[in-house]
Parts: sequence; structure tokens; C-alpha cells
Amino acid sequence: MRNRKRVGWHKYVNGVTISTLVTVLFILIPLYWLVASSFKPPNDLNNARLFPSSFSGGNYSNAFVGYDFGIYFRNSLIVTLATTALVLVLGTLAGYALGRLPMRGKFTTMVILLIISVFPAVAVLAPLYLLLREIGWLNSYQALILPYTAFNLPFAIWILRNYMIGIPKEMEETGRIDGASALRTVWSIVLPQALPGLFTAGIFCFTACWTEFLFALTFNSSNNFRTIPVGIAEFGGNFQVPYGTIFAASVVATVPIGILVFIFRKFVVSGLTSGAVKG
Amino acid sequence: MTAISSASGQSAAGQVRPVVPPVPRPDINRKRLARMGWGFSAPALVVIAAVTIFPIVYSVIMSLNNVTVTGSGFSLDGFTFSNYNLLLHASLWRDALFFTVYYTVVTVIIELVIGTCIALVLERLVAGRGYMMALLLLPWSMITVINAELWAYIYNGTYGVADYILGGLGFGHPVILGTPTPAIIGLMIADIWKTTPFVAAEMDGASGWYTFWRITLPLLRPTIALAVIFRVLQAFGLFDLPYVMTGGGPGTSTQSLAILAYNALFKNLAFGPGAAVATSTALLVLLGCLASLRVFRVQVGQEGN
Repeated sequence: MRNRKRVGWHKYVNGVTISTLVTVLFILIPLYWLVASSFKPPNDLNNARLFPSSFSGGNYSNAFVGYDFGIYFRNSLIVTLATTALVLVLGTLAGYALGRLPMRGKFTTMVILLIISVFPAVAVLAPLYLLLREIGWLNSYQALILPYTAFNLPFAIWILRNYMIGIPKEMEETGRIDGASALRTVWSIVLPQALPGLFTAGIFCFTACWTEFLFALTFNSSNNFRTIPVGIAEFGGNFQVPYGTIFAASVVATVPIGILVFIFRKFVVSGLTSGAVKG
Repeated sequence: MTAISSASGQSAAGQVRPVVPPVPRPDINRKRLARMGWGFSAPALVVIAAVTIFPIVYSVIMSLNNVTVTGSGFSLDGFTFSNYNLLLHASLWRDALFFTVYYTVVTVIIELVIGTCIALVLERLVAGRGYMMALLLLPWSMITVINAELWAYIYNGTYGVADYILGGLGFGHPVILGTPTPAIIGLMIADIWKTTPFVAAEMDGASGWYTFWRITLPLLRPTIALAVIFRVLQAFGLFDLPYVMTGGGPGTSTQSLAILAYNALFKNLAFGPGAAVATSTALLVLLGCLASLRVFRVQVGQEGN
């Protein structure tokens, strides 16, 4: 049935193409509205005009000049990159150990990590805030890098462990017989094999950090350390919400993550299926 | 016994002196490897514990104390159960709990059903599946705050496009985010838009209706169960979308447990009751985890420990 040849116009107009088209429109229409609104001059924003009457870059320059979107972008980039690097290094070591070394209690450790990965961030918000205040870390990069690392590690360890388990043992033994040190074995033999796992863990961690709101809102309220989500949420004044500026900033914030997801889409999907079901 | 230790055991046994018992060596090796394993995992586990487990314990302590906020900080003034007493008798907490549970369950079910349907259709797509996959992942990768701002603009009462459409269809001009039920539906639509395509990507390779019902579904049942449990528990921390879109309003109709806790802690500086709300939320998630521990176990055990 599935391989039935479609002839004439049925080749183009059928259930599959129509449903696909509906799905595409369902995703694209709100996105179109976001992009179109970001180019609209102020007058167009106050009515539901389908197309901008003229393309204006005013909202974009306003986001960077009138507001400090450049600072927010830089802060997001620093926090996200630092966290992703940390998570991949610590996650690889832990994933390797929990996947391949004969440790007692690793079963319990994995279950605890699974539980921690669904824990609501609000449960640790107040104590962490007090702790960070105590050590003078409020409004700093490390105030976000530390909790982001901790909250993204459990999932990364899970993904990496699942990849590590699939690597043939013989390769590792060869390294060991050659007398390579343990760290070297991980670096030069295990790591190249686990590369897809690193991509998957990396893209998930990057996305989570780029989009995180609650910690950033609570710990870094000063303008110089705000990240993109907090910056955009606080663009609004008391009376008028500057939607044009908000959407211009939103487009700039979405393009890099959109490109990354496009490049690494295979690893996102494989992470979803292999992270949960493997073997 | 791992392959590494048995291999070294064999090489010892294969030597000219079979008299030497091969047992002690693998054991030492095993111990050494185990120590190395804990050494390798220690940095990650320490960071996780420092930021999750210790603060949670401290949250519990705070919630069981009379907390007084002073000029320079705060102090714990003795054990009390009054913070929890307050919760149990406050309609705010019950309303937030009800909203969070109801919102989470409804959105997760809708997203799962529609997402699976989309996946089953896309599976038959001949060309352009790679691009389709990237498109499905795009809303997921977007910042939730942006999603919230976009939909708040669409729902705006004076110039929102939803207002024009509803008016054109003869539904009049409801104040969408200013009336409880439309506000909840509005939030759900924004949530469904962001998450459903992701679920579809997750279900990719569902291989047609028949195969899906007869083979994929039974085979994947533990995995789907895990995915559903995971999503429900994760969604339980619901904060970003209602905080930005409605601020928990109108009134308190879209106030989730996380928003209630955040407002109590950082707007009213009521640390005791705030910690009690936060702790109760965590406790409910933990109960959910324990209830599904069997599914979790299956998941870990699958790899053959």
C-alpha cells in the first residue's frame, strides 16, 4: 500500500503532502509574524498588517543602541560556551567511568542522576541565591555557569554513558596493553568513538543554557550581566511594550541557535532516540 | 567480570606456570579500575551535589523554620510547621497546584498525540526530510521568553492578529490574556506550538500506522512511558511562559507553583512560606519519580549492568 504509484495530480495533492503543508504552516506562520514584525516601522506594529509597509532596520539598531542587547548577547555567549565546555569535559569522564569501569553503586548513581535531571529549578533557587550572595557571586558569569553545569550534567552523563557502552572493549584494551595512561586512553581511543554522543550532549546543553530564564532572572539582575532571555523580558517599560525592538532582538537571538540546530539536527534526533532507547 | 580483567586473567593462566592462582590479579585490577572510576566521576558528581542536593536539603530546613529577614540577611528562628500549615490552608497553593497539574497533563497529552500523528505522516515523506527535521526542531530551540512575547503580541487586545481573526469569524473581541479561561487556552496554544514539533521529531521513524500499533508501540512502551513521565515531571517546574505572558494572571488563574514560590521568595521576601512552596513542588516531583522508579530501573538495567 505504501509503495502504491500515484498518478496525475494525485502525485502532488494527497494526504501526505496536505498534512505536511499544514504542519509547515503551523510552524512557520508565527515565525513569519515574528520576523515581519521585527522589520515593521512603528505605525505598522499597532495594527495587524500582513506585510510591512516599508522595511525598516530601525528596530534592530534600537535593540543595540537604545537598549543594551549587545551586552546581553555577549553575556549569553560567554555563559553558554563556558558551561557547554565544562559539561562536555566533566560529562565525558563521568560517562566513561559509569559506562565502562567496574564501580559498585553505579546503578544507584544513574537512577539518582535521572531523578535530579527532572528536579524543578525553583526548589534550589532560594538557598543558591543566599549562597551566591554570601560568597559575593551575584551578578557574575560564574553565578550562572555553576548551576547550569550542575543541571545539564546528569543528562550529558546519561547520553555519553550510553554511547560509551557501545564502543568495543578490544580497542580500549589495546591502549592499556600499550601502557597508555587512563586519561590518554579516554582521550585518544574512547573519545573519537563517542564523538556523536559529544555532539548530542553539546547541542542539548547549549540550547538549555541559551534559553534558561529563572536562574538568570534571579542571580544576575544587573544590566551588565543579564543574558538574552532576561534582557528581552525586561525590555518592556511600564506603559508601552516595545514589540518592534523585542522582535528584532529575538530574531538576532534565534539565528545562531537555529543554525546550530540545523547543522546538528541528526544528533538532536539520535540523542532523543538513543538517549532513551538503545540496544 | 569485565572483559579487561578476564583477559588479563587468561594471559596469566596461559603462561608456563599454571600453578599461580589467577584470581588475585583481576581482583586488584578491578579495585584499581573502580577507584579510577570514582576519581573520574568525582568532579561531575561533586558539582551536581553542591548545586542540587545540598540546596534542596537547605530548602527543607528553611521551610521548617521561622525565617526572619533582617537588614543584612536572614535568620532561622526555631522549628515550626506553620509554613506548611499555611500552604494547606491557603487557597493560593491549592489553586497553583491545580493549575500546574491540569496544565501539564493537558498539554503533554495533546503534544504527544498530535506529535505522533505528524511523525506518522512525515515518515511517508519522500523528499526533504532533513529540512523538515530542522524545521521541527526550530521552535524547540527558541528561547521560551521570545515565544511568550510573540504570543502575547498575537493575543494583544487592541492590535493583536488573534483579535482580528476572532472578530472576523464572529467571536467578538474577547480580552484573551485578561480573562481566565482564554488566558489558559492561550498559554496552552503557545506551549503546544513550541513543543509538538519536537515530539514529532522525537517520534521520527514511527513506520506507518499498522507497524506503529502492532510493533513500535508495544516495543517502545517503556520508552514512551519514560518520555511521558519525564515530560510531565519536567513541565511541573512551569515558569517562563506564564511569568512573561500573563504574570500569573488575570488574578491568580495562571499562577503555577514555581511562580507562586518565586513571588513569595523574591517579591514578598517570605522565605519560610516560599521555601515551603518550593519544597512541596520538589516533593511532588520526587513522589512522581519514586512512583515510576520501576520504569527508571528498566531503563538503567537495559544496558546490562
